[in-house]
Amino acid sequence: MPNASSTLAAPERAATAATPTDRSRRRKIATVVALIVAAVVVGIFPAAAPNAYILSAGVVILSYACTATSWNFMGGFTGYISLGHAAWFGLGAYGTGILVRDLGLPSFVAWALAGVVVAIITVPIGIAALRVRGASFVIVSIAFVLILLLVFQGWGSFTGGSNGLVVPRPFPDLMRPVHHQVFFYLFAALLAAMLVLWWAINRSRFGIGLKAIREDEDKAEALGIPTRNYKLVAYIISATFTGLAGGMYALWFGDLDPIFQFSILLGSYMVLMALLGGIRHLLGPLVGAIIVGIGLEVFKLQFGDTQFHLVATGLLLALVVLFMPDGIIPALQAGIKRFGPQSSSIREMTAGELAERNRAAGVSGASVFAGRKAEREGVENEDATTPTEEEKR
Amino acid sequence: MTATAASGATTTVSNLSTRGLTKVFGGVRAVDGADVTFHEGKINALIGPNGSGKTTFFNCVTGMIKPDSGTVTFKDRDITGKAPHAIAHAGIGRSFQLCRIFPRMSVLDNVLVAVRRTGIRSLLAPARTEAEVTKARQLLVRVGIDHLENAEARDLSYGQQKLLELAGVLMGDPDTIMLDEPAGGVNPSLIGRIGSLVQELNAEGTTFLIVEHNMDLVMSLSHHVIVFDRGRPIAEGTPDIVQSDPRVLEAYLGV
Ligand SMILES: Nc1ncnc2c1ncn2[C@@H]1O[C@H](COP(=O)(O)OP(=O)(O)OP(=O)(O)O)[C@@H](O)[C@H]1O
Ligand SMILES: [Mg+2]
Repeated sequence: MPNASSTLAAPERAATAATPTDRSRRRKIATVVALIVAAVVVGIFPAAAPNAYILSAGVVILSYACTATSWNFMGGFTGYISLGHAAWFGLGAYGTGILVRDLGLPSFVAWALAGVVVAIITVPIGIAALRVRGASFVIVSIAFVLILLLVFQGWGSFTGGSNGLVVPRPFPDLMRPVHHQVFFYLFAALLAAMLVLWWAINRSRFGIGLKAIREDEDKAEALGIPTRNYKLVAYIISATFTGLAGGMYALWFGDLDPIFQFSILLGSYMVLMALLGGIRHLLGPLVGAIIVGIGLEVFKLQFGDTQFHLVATGLLLALVVLFMPDGIIPALQAGIKRFGPQSSSIREMTAGELAERNRAAGVSGASVFAGRKAEREGVENEDATTPTEEEKR
Repeated sequence: MTATAASGATTTVSNLSTRGLTKVFGGVRAVDGADVTFHEGKINALIGPNGSGKTTFFNCVTGMIKPDSGTVTFKDRDITGKAPHAIAHAGIGRSFQLCRIFPRMSVLDNVLVAVRRTGIRSLLAPARTEAEVTKARQLLVRVGIDHLENAEARDLSYGQQKLLELAGVLMGDPDTIMLDEPAGGVNPSLIGRIGSLVQELNAEGTTFLIVEHNMDLVMSLSHHVIVFDRGRPIAEGTPDIVQSDPRVLEAYLGV
């Protein structure tokens, strides 16, 4: 299938192979450039920030980026949408705080240990929650975070309850702005670690299996992928990094309250940010976090402590799902492609269109020998006929 | 061993059989105590009216559905109720009645999904190794859609998607392949291509179990035909014998 864009391709390569390869190389270059820009911005931001408020907003946005990226290990790769990921954030935060308070562990030892604790808790919860799919999984994830909220509010003697838990600062003698600066870099390092892992999984055998699960879980299983174990591992990775982000937040912010740590809102933000940026893209959740994070800060400045930002968040989520289901990054890519050379489509006709057309033409299935044969001869010139019955599973 | 089974016309060797396989949906006995023995190294066809339980039977054998009772034996091992991926690893590959592919993955990746690797290290290694990509490309050439390797699978025509699904199944090197209506919904020229592909693979030793309504295809391809009605086999034999069996005509035509 020769097409217009093949004129741009290197002459020694076949026309059919050249276009997609060039496109993927261009995409790779774009990602590398974006990463370099991001690294430079992260590097100079703390020094360039005009005041401590902007700096702390930067820390918040990076913490959002960490949670959205960690959420994406599950949501992006497997397509399992967890609205209750705040549970892992809260467990990591409280785990860190309580380990410092009760065992007197050094802050970052407690932080790492809390990550291990979260990973261990994920195993039974994951085995139970991943027995269901789709909407049921969403509901189970919400139920889990609500249960934790009640437990942490009710068990005041251990968690501090609604009075909150004060987490000792890891660097008590640092001034506020320097404290923010240090945590800005710590969150950036955590994010970088996640991005590297995401990139590695994305191109791995494991990643291809996870993406197959996202596309069609039963089919993946039939092709030999142990889907249950794959999902569980993705879930553990996702929850553990969310917990580590929570622990980091606890050490930075120093004050925990169940109502904020175990909130469905926090989990919803993770989903919104990842969807907004694009769950199939390495930098999608980061882009989403920057947009949502800045948006939330602006809202707070403009309208104070109202619930107005909730309405805006809900609206944005609806708009994204309706009009940009793949997120901003793919939308931008498509926009850029429109200015580039046009390539003719290889598409002949998809199964969906086919079914649609045949339905319109009134082709129906018959089941007896003769009926089938006649039907087939009757539509000889068609590309195909409609399968007669839905697959029953 | 499959070669000897294929050459000896009178000997029947079986690597896959079911005993008393039963699956009830609500009140419907979709599969009802089915005893089926497939001939190893042969092309076995499973035919029967709509709703006679062929797909449900397939799903019970491949682990997609847990049967209520009965056993499935493959290579002398009881595989009843095993997870589908374990059954795939044991050597049974399958296609679905309404062709199922991974719509938003590339054609090449669709085939690479079926690569078998175990161990954490190899799972985290890059998905596209040279050897595996070469093998996947060869399979795409074999089914005739190699020129589309970089396309998204959803952009293929229905017939091309069926061929892609077959390539994916072949990537797992199954010794037994179950196809649920391979000719359903594809145009006549493609039916011929699928048919000759099945024959080629069978000549190389692969056992086939094919559910199919296209009688021309069934009669020209298969060595052994099993007729299903109301969840169990009612007749079996060579295509000629089955075609003239009064019970079969009754089940199909209701005479
Ligand atoms: N998941 C399900 N839930 C309830 N009933 C089902 C389910 N799957 C199949 N059935 C019923 O079981 C019976 C057998 O269906 P099955 O799909 O196995 O038949 P089939 O022989 O494959 O038919 P066809 O030739 O039309 O594909 C039918 O009566 C069907 O309605
Ligand atoms: Mg069927």
